[in-house]
Amino acid sequence: MIDELGLYERMLTVRLLEEELQKLCLLGEAGDLHFNKGQEAISVGVCAALKPTDYIVTHHRTIAHAIAKGIELKPLVAELLGKATGINRGVAGEMHFTYPPVRYMFTFQLVGTCVPVAAGLAWAVKNFLNKAEIVACFFGDAATGNAQTHEGINIASVRKLPLLLICENNGVAGNIGREFYLPTETVAERALSYGIPARTVDGNRLDEVVDAAGKAAGYVRENSEPYLVEMMTTRLSWHKQGMPDARSKEEIAELAKRDPLLYEEKRLKMTEGEKKQLVKRVSTRIQEAIAAGRVAPLSTFPEPG
Amino acid sequence: MLLRIRVDRHPVEPAVKSRTWARNRLIRDGIYRAIHEQMRTDPSIYVLGEGAHMKVHYDAPYIEKDFRDRIITLPISEDGNTNFAVGASLVGVKPIVDVISSDFLFRTMDSICNTAAKLSLISSFVDQPKTIVVRSEFLFGGPSSGQRVESLFTHIPGLNVVLPSNPRDARGLMKTVLTRPGVTIFFEDRMISDSGTKDSDLDDGVTETIPIGKAKFRHRGDSLTIVSYAIALREVESVVEAQDVDCDLIDLRSLYPLDYETINSSVTRTGKLLIVEPDVTFAGVGAEVAADVSERSLPMLKRPVKRLGAPRTLIPVSQDLHMKMIPSRAEIAASIGELLS
Repeated sequence: MIDELGLYERMLTVRLLEEELQKLCLLGEAGDLHFNKGQEAISVGVCAALKPTDYIVTHHRTIAHAIAKGIELKPLVAELLGKATGINRGVAGEMHFTYPPVRYMFTFQLVGTCVPVAAGLAWAVKNFLNKAEIVACFFGDAATGNAQTHEGINIASVRKLPLLLICENNGVAGNIGREFYLPTETVAERALSYGIPARTVDGNRLDEVVDAAGKAAGYVRENSEPYLVEMMTTRLSWHKQGMPDARSKEEIAELAKRDPLLYEEKRLKMTEGEKKQLVKRVSTRIQEAIAAGRVAPLSTFPEPG
Repeated sequence: MLLRIRVDRHPVEPAVKSRTWARNRLIRDGIYRAIHEQMRTDPSIYVLGEGAHMKVHYDAPYIEKDFRDRIITLPISEDGNTNFAVGASLVGVKPIVDVISSDFLFRTMDSICNTAAKLSLISSFVDQPKTIVVRSEFLFGGPSSGQRVESLFTHIPGLNVVLPSNPRDARGLMKTVLTRPGVTIFFEDRMISDSGTKDSDLDDGVTETIPIGKAKFRHRGDSLTIVSYAIALREVESVVEAQDVDCDLIDLRSLYPLDYETINSSVTRTGKLLIVEPDVTFAGVGAEVAADVSERSLPMLKRPVKRLGAPRTLIPVSQDLHMKMIPSRAEIAASIGELLS
């Protein structure tokens, strides 16, 4: 049974945490982070559809995935701020962190790298560990223009690996539009060439995401072969803090009508009062994590390798 | 929308018919003996790469016989294959990725430098650091076949670079890199024909491991220090032995970590340093050796340091001409004579 309110709370946590982190970016206490605003339903929904023992591998817009997979706020925030109390001692930071205890295996700065790494992980889980767990790999639509995505899906298909491919299609790559990198109508139709099943769903509707990811994960588990789910979504933030958006304010305002939080609030028939209460509770936890992160000692240089 | 095309596939390793193969590849034999030995005791070691099964079949049928399931043939996608291997390492596999030609390593710069080197270090904060070995060979062939790329990797934090000059070192060093955490680029210099080494030299029952970062004296003497590695080392060795030169001849074996101690202690005694490398000298390993010696042992030097290396040009198609890129025995002898005069 899916705890729908709990999932909404996770999305809200991502949204409010990113707002607080953005303030720290502006103060110079955090680097130029890549925010997930507008795409939260995908990570939260997919991770809810997975088993806790399933693995995830992600791209660099990934604060949402960390929370969705269950990384604690305090050590996560500390990591994002480069503090010694972070999950990776503050050395890995936003775009390279890993936290195997919750099977959040790695974040990749370089676009596309996550796909072959996830394929290798899926291969090892199946053939080395001999486990039935699956691997979910999150990547963007723009990553399909990168050879690593192709090489990874290619091997995963040839080797019949238990890999759930989640394409977060937000229609932008940094500050360029899809006309510069996506020659097909959808990313899903590219799956044809790999001989793997694929479908496209609305990634801003949490219920659709949970349903589609659940079915796809079931397929991957049962057949031990990859399945691609393309989730149409909206990046409501800039590509990263400090890099203003090429899209107009009107364009982004139009996209914001599809805000996954608004959709879920409506669907759950949430009242203003209920939302306020939830915001208050979540904000308190976030403030605690931010406060702890700000005063934590800076990371130190790791041993030279 | 649901899109679907069904293709029936049966991914099985190719069956390869036996045939004989010229036996002048004993560095390779040293490498494979170490891999076989380690595979017997460590079930997490796998061999992956394009044509991996085929290669093992020809070069090390004993590995094919004992561990067929642990040889994984991947497509011609070197960068993806190395990323794949890193992914497998995340749950404990110790992959040996075969990237075949050194030139292909340019394709894998991303997966080695951005993925493997970083993940291995970051993993060590939450988990075990990973053991990943990337194998590659210096081949013959032409402008993009046989390029010396070793110094590029020595510059990247998180990578070890190993380049043995003989089968026994290859065996001992491979054993070591498979038993310690870290990412290692393990080169095989196929310019070395090794007609002088016999199979029995490797089947002597000795299971030595050789630490990485430890150079080896191939000759001892007091008048000159010669630092070299790989095919260049073998050329120097033949000159030194033929003329019984009064010199220390140091085989680096590991290019990173580099054995500064051995080099400096020798130079401190001899006061003269000749570096002979198979790579171009510009920003090469020899430049690092010379810089370190100038920092630590300059007052002890009686002569300026001398470097010999390959010309900075395209690799010729002709194997004979390609061999001439390596400093010749005549050149080496002349430089030795000059420094000893």
